[in-house]
Amino acid sequence: MTATAAKGGPRQPIGKRIYGFLRAIPTWVLWTLVLLWTIPTFGLFVNSFRTRDAQRNSGWWLAFQDNANGYDFPTLDNYQEVLFPDVGAGLGNALLNSASIAIVATIIPIAIAAFAAYAFAWIDFKGREWMFIGTVALLAVPTQVSLIPLLSAYSSGVHMTIPIIERTITLIPDANLAGTIPAVWLTHTGFALPFAIFLLHNYIAGLPKDIFESARIDGADHFKIFYKLVVPLSVPVLAAFAIFQFLWTWNDYLIALTMIGGNRVALPATIVVASLAGEFGAREHLLTAGAFVITVVPLVVFFALQRFFVRGVTAGSVKG
Amino acid sequence: MNRLLVTAIGIVAAVGLSALVFIGINKLFDQAERRFAFFNAIVGGVASLIIFGLLWGNRVIATPEVVTLIATLIGAATGLGLGVIKAPRGRLLIGLGGGAALGLLLGLSVRSPFWPAIDPVAAGIGIVSGALLGYLVWTLTGRKGSKTPHLLLGLAVGWLVGAWLAADFAVTLTEDGVLQGATVGTQAEAVLVAVVLGLLAGGWAGSIPYPDDVTRTSIAAGSRKYIFLVPALLFVIGTLVVPLGRTIWLGFLTGSPRNLEWTGLTNYGDILTDPGILDLSDWTSMFSGRLFWGAVVLIVLGVVLGRWLGRSSGSGLGTGFSLSAGTLMLIAGGVVLLGFSVFVAIRGTIPNNLWWIFSVIAFAVTLGLGVAVLADRSKGENLAKSLIFLPMAISFVGASVIWRLMYIARPPQDPQTGVFNTVWVQIGEWSNSDTASAIISAGLALIVVGLLYLGWRGWRAEQNAMVAGSLALTLPLIFLIYRFLGPGIGGFVINEATGDVVAAPVLFIQEAPWNNFWLMVVFIWIQTGFAMVIFSAAIKAVPEELLEAARIDGATESQTFWRVTVPQIYPTIGVVTTTLIVTVLKVFDIPKVMTNGNFDTQVLANEMWQKAFTELDFGVGSAVAVILFIGVLPVMFINIRRMQKERLA
Repeated sequence: MTATAAKGGPRQPIGKRIYGFLRAIPTWVLWTLVLLWTIPTFGLFVNSFRTRDAQRNSGWWLAFQDNANGYDFPTLDNYQEVLFPDVGAGLGNALLNSASIAIVATIIPIAIAAFAAYAFAWIDFKGREWMFIGTVALLAVPTQVSLIPLLSAYSSGVHMTIPIIERTITLIPDANLAGTIPAVWLTHTGFALPFAIFLLHNYIAGLPKDIFESARIDGADHFKIFYKLVVPLSVPVLAAFAIFQFLWTWNDYLIALTMIGGNRVALPATIVVASLAGEFGAREHLLTAGAFVITVVPLVVFFALQRFFVRGVTAGSVKG
Repeated sequence: MNRLLVTAIGIVAAVGLSALVFIGINKLFDQAERRFAFFNAIVGGVASLIIFGLLWGNRVIATPEVVTLIATLIGAATGLGLGVIKAPRGRLLIGLGGGAALGLLLGLSVRSPFWPAIDPVAAGIGIVSGALLGYLVWTLTGRKGSKTPHLLLGLAVGWLVGAWLAADFAVTLTEDGVLQGATVGTQAEAVLVAVVLGLLAGGWAGSIPYPDDVTRTSIAAGSRKYIFLVPALLFVIGTLVVPLGRTIWLGFLTGSPRNLEWTGLTNYGDILTDPGILDLSDWTSMFSGRLFWGAVVLIVLGVVLGRWLGRSSGSGLGTGFSLSAGTLMLIAGGVVLLGFSVFVAIRGTIPNNLWWIFSVIAFAVTLGLGVAVLADRSKGENLAKSLIFLPMAISFVGASVIWRLMYIARPPQDPQTGVFNTVWVQIGEWSNSDTASAIISAGLALIVVGLLYLGWRGWRAEQNAMVAGSLALTLPLIFLIYRFLGPGIGGFVINEATGDVVAAPVLFIQEAPWNNFWLMVVFIWIQTGFAMVIFSAAIKAVPEELLEAARIDGATESQTFWRVTVPQIYPTIGVVTTTLIVTVLKVFDIPKVMTNGNFDTQVLANEMWQKAFTELDFGVGSAVAVILFIGVLPVMFINIRRMQKERLA
C-alpha cells in the first residue's frame, strides 16, 4: 500500500485520501456485518414487548409508533402470559426443568471426565494411547445412532440373549426412566464425555511434571494428587467446559424431546417454545417472549463468562 | 415453590450420591494396604450383592429382598475371614464354607421355573472344558503361582454353564417380560447344582494365597486407573458404543418394536430407492438454469483475469496466476453458484443434507475467515467479535424463532412485518418507479465508476489485488443496474389485465427448493462466530517474523495474506471444516422447528426421528441413523489420524 502513495508523486493528497479511505474499509465492512448479525436478535427483543395486534400489523422497527396507533408499548403482557401456567404456556415450570437438566448434566460429566482425563494423562498403563484415541474419536458419532437403543433401555431395561443356549438374561431391569429428567441426565453425561475428556486431558496433560513427582515423593497417592493438585490447578479449563456444557444442555432440544417425549411436567423450556412455534398462529405473539426468555440465560452466561466460553469452543481446534 | 424444592433436592441427591460413591470406592481401596480384612469383607459383600442383585433383576429368586440381604452378609463374612486367616488350609475351609452357604441359599430360593433338569452329558462337557480353560489361562498368563485357583474357577464356570444354563428348564419370557413355564427339573437338582457351584467358587476364593505387603500395595495403587477410568468408560460404552452396535443391528431388522425380524439390506434398499430421499430424475434441468451458466461465466472470468494479471505482473512473488481476493471471489462465487445449481436440480433428503454441508462450509468458513481478517485490522475488534459470536450461545430453537420473525410473509395487501420481505417488496416498488430506479441506478453507477478508478490506480501501481477486487465488485453492481433499468427486481408482480404493480412477498419458509437455503442461513448465522473465533486465534498465532520477512521482500498485503498467512492456517481450516461437517450432518432442531421436514426441507436427522419415534419403525429409523454414521466416518478417520500423529509421533 505504501507503494501507491509513493507512486502517486505530485498527487499525493488524493493518494493519501484514497489510502485513508481504503484503510477504513475493513472497519466499515466489519461493522456492517456486525449490524446484520445483530438485527435478528434485536428484532425479537423489541417484538417481545409489543402487543399481539401490534406485532401483526407492523414490523418491529416501527415499534415507536405503537403508542400513536393505540397499542401498548412497551408491555410485559407477553412475558406474564407465557411464564405462568394459569395464564398461558407454563414456561415457568419448564424453565425449572431446564435448570435441573442443565445443572446436573453439567456437574456429573465434569467430575467423571476429570478423573478419566487425569488417568489418561498421568497414570501409566497398557493401551492408554489407544484407549484415549478411541474415546475421543467418538466425538464425531452423531447422537442419533444412540437414541433408539437408549430409549428402549430406559423404558424396558437391558436384556441380552445368549446365542447358543437361547436364554435371555436381564442385565439392567426395567427402571421406568423414559419420560423422566434422570434419563436426560444420563444421556447428556454419556454424550458429553468424549469432548470433556478431550478438553480436560489437553489441559491436565500440560501441567508441569515436577509437581506430580514431588507430590509422589511426599507420599501422596493418585486420589490425593487429584483433589489437592489437579482440581485446583485446572479451574480455568473446568470452568470452560462447565460453561460450554451448561449452554449445550440448556439449549438442547433433541435429547430432551426423545427421552422425555410426552411427559408434560418434565419438559424443558426449549420444547415448550418449539411447540408454541408449531402451533402456527394462535399464540404466535407469545413466541417472541418465550424465545427471548430461553435466550436470556445463555446470553447472560455468555456475556459474563465469554472468555471461558470462547476457550471451551476453540480448545483443541487450534493446535495446543 | 414445591417444584423448586423437588428440583433442588434432585440435583443435590444426584450430585451428592455420585460423589459419595466415588470417594467411597477410593477410600475403600486405600484400605487394601493397611486394613486388608475390612477391605476384603466389603469386596465379598459387594460381590455377593451384585450377583444376587442380578438374579433378583432377572426374577430368578423368590423373596429376593431377604435372600439378597443374607447373601450379602454371608459374602461379607467370608471376605472378612479370608482377610484375616493366613494359613492355606484355614482359608480353603472358609472359602468352601462360605461358598456352600451361598450355594445352599441360592438352591433353596430359586423359583421353580428355573429348576434345572441336569443333563449329565452337558454337565460333563462343561466340567471338562471349564478345567481345560482354567489350565489354558494359567499357562497363558505365565504359570504364575499355583494352578489350583485357575482350575477351580474354570470348573465353576464350566459347571454353571453345563449343569445349569444348558439344562432344560421350562421358562420362557413372554412379550411383556413375564416369566412363564412348568417345572422340568426338581428342587433337589437345583440345590445340588447351586451347592456344587458354591463349593467350586468358594474353593477358588479360598485357594488364593493371602496377599503379602507388596501385593496389597499394588492392589491399592494399581486399582486407581480402573477407579478413575471405569465411570467414564462405562458411560461411553453404555451410551455410545453399545447403542451404536445395536443400532447397526436394528438397521437390518423390520417390524414393530416388540417383534423385529431379520430382513437384511431391505431397509437400506427402501431408503435409497425412495424418491423423497434421493431423486435424480431431474438432474439435466440444471443445464437449463441461469444459475449454472452464471457460475460458468464467473469461473471463466476469474480464471482469465487471474491468468492475465498473473502473467503481466512483474513483482517478485508472481507466478502464472494471480491469487487475490478479487479473482478468488469470482471463482468461489462461481463454485457456490455451481453447487447451488446442482442441489436445486437434484432433490431429496440426502441431497438436502449435502446441500447443507456445502453451503454451511462455504459461507461459514468464508465469512468466519473474512470477519477474523477484517477484525484484525479494524477498530473495536473485541466488541465486533463478541457480537458476531453471540448467536453461538443461542439455542437452535431460539434461533429458529428469531429467524421466522425475519422471514415472515404477510398477504400482499398487508404491510410486511418481516425484515426480508419488507426490504424485498420495497425494492420491487422502487424498481417500478422511474424516478427511484433512475436515482438508484445513478448511485450505483457512481460506485462503479469509483471502483473502476480504483482498479485503474491499482493497475498503475501494479497492485493486482486492487485491480481484480475492483473488477469483481463491479460485476454484481452492473447486474443490479441492469435489473433496475431493465426487467425490474424485487418482490412484485404486474397484474397483466390492469397493469397494476402488486407486492409479491417471498414465502421464504414454504417455497422449495430455496427454502432449504433460508434454513441454512440460520445455521450459518450461528456457526460463523465459531469459525471466526478459531480463525482469529490462528491468525494471531502466525509468527510476526514471517509476515515481516515477506513484507521486506516486497510482498503486498494481499500477497502476504494469501502466501504466508493462509498456508499457515491450512490445518485450522481443515479442523473447522471437519467440525462443521459433523455438526451440520446431525442438524435437526432447525428443520424440525421451522418446517418439520415439510416443503421439501427434510434432512436425515429429522427423517430418522420421524421414522423411529413417530412411526415407531425402528428398523428404517436405525438404518437412517447408520447412514448418518457412515457420513461422519471419514471425519472420524481423519481425526484419528491427526491424533495419532500428534500423540504417537
